[in-house]
Amino acid sequence: MNQNLEFKLQAWLDGELSGSEAQAIEREVAADADVARLAAELRTVKSAMAGNETARVVPETREFYWSKIQRQIERESAQPAPARRMAVWRHWLSPLAGLAGLACILILAIKPGTPATFDEISSTGEGMEAVTFHDQSAGMTVVWLADSEREQPQIQSPAPKTEEGGSGVEVE
Amino acid sequence: MSSHEDKSEVTDTDLVTAAQKGGMEAFEQLVARHRDKIYARAYGMMRHEDEALDLSQEAWVKGWQRLAQFHGDSSFATWMTRIVINLCLDQLRKQKRQRAESIEALEEESGGVERYMPAVNPNPTAHLERTELRGRIDRALGQLSAEHRTVLVLHEFEELEYKEIAKKMGCSIGTVMSRLFYARRRMASLLAGLKREKTE
Repeated sequence: MNQNLEFKLQAWLDGELSGSEAQAIEREVAADADVARLAAELRTVKSAMAGNETARVVPETREFYWSKIQRQIERESAQPAPARRMAVWRHWLSPLAGLAGLACILILAIKPGTPATFDEISSTGEGMEAVTFHDQSAGMTVVWLADSEREQPQIQSPAPKTEEGGSGVEVE
Repeated sequence: MSSHEDKSEVTDTDLVTAAQKGGMEAFEQLVARHRDKIYARAYGMMRHEDEALDLSQEAWVKGWQRLAQFHGDSSFATWMTRIVINLCLDQLRKQKRQRAESIEALEEESGGVERYMPAVNPNPTAHLERTELRGRIDRALGQLSAEHRTVLVLHEFEELEYKEIAKKMGCSIGTVMSRLFYARRRMASLLAGLKREKTE
């Protein structure tokens, strides 16, 4: 008897075969005494085992058995909490850290090693205020002269703006 | 209220609902009700008292942690049984990895001597008292390899289909059929041998 037939015979007994396959096996059982004997043996084991598992009782008292479970539950419920908090932090910090890293890269890539864009010197005289910018990257100095009696100039970078009552003078 | 107060009139569903709300006392009642069944399943697969105790207790801890996932699609006992079966299968896999490839392990797949045995007839278990039959089956199961025992337990006692067993055991349906076939043949041989021992 080949292995395929043996396994199909078993599948037939277990109700795992389709109608046509089951009918084919039934014909084999009817026609071959060896197949019929093997079917009887498999059926015997199957029916003997059905519902005949030995019952077993926990070999510990209810209190002791439960105390071990309870201790483990408490131990494990104490442990995951920090882990969960860390997971939340990781969830939010990871993208932020990524963005910060990207920003650093962009800054360094665009102007590698560039010092502060411009220095600012401010001096105030009687009735006059002078504000000087020096843009090192552009090699340019801008001096603002403004009437301190009037509105203070609004400083914006990088292009100097002439406020009303003041004038911009470019110095090489 | 004492945690050991008899709540036999309370259904599992009510106890599960209470436990899902954090009621440890209700969960203890569930453990008390079903602990023997869960332990028996673990013992049936591991055949080792300490391992069965540890795994059954681990199953209850997992059950508590996953209680929110229980929606009543099966009975609570069935749900817990599935948990302990999975833990036992994990443990058996670990043990198998640690075990060196042996002739015995190879024979499990190819059938070993059972492949060449004539069919056992007549029925060696006929006319046995139920208790005696259970005892013989239990002793025979104890002599099987872990793979053969597991597939028999899952098919005959848990009544799982081939594809469910294959999924749980992480193998093909063909392997399940092969293991089940040779496990049954070995069981038939063992039960016949036990009968002979009795009559001698």
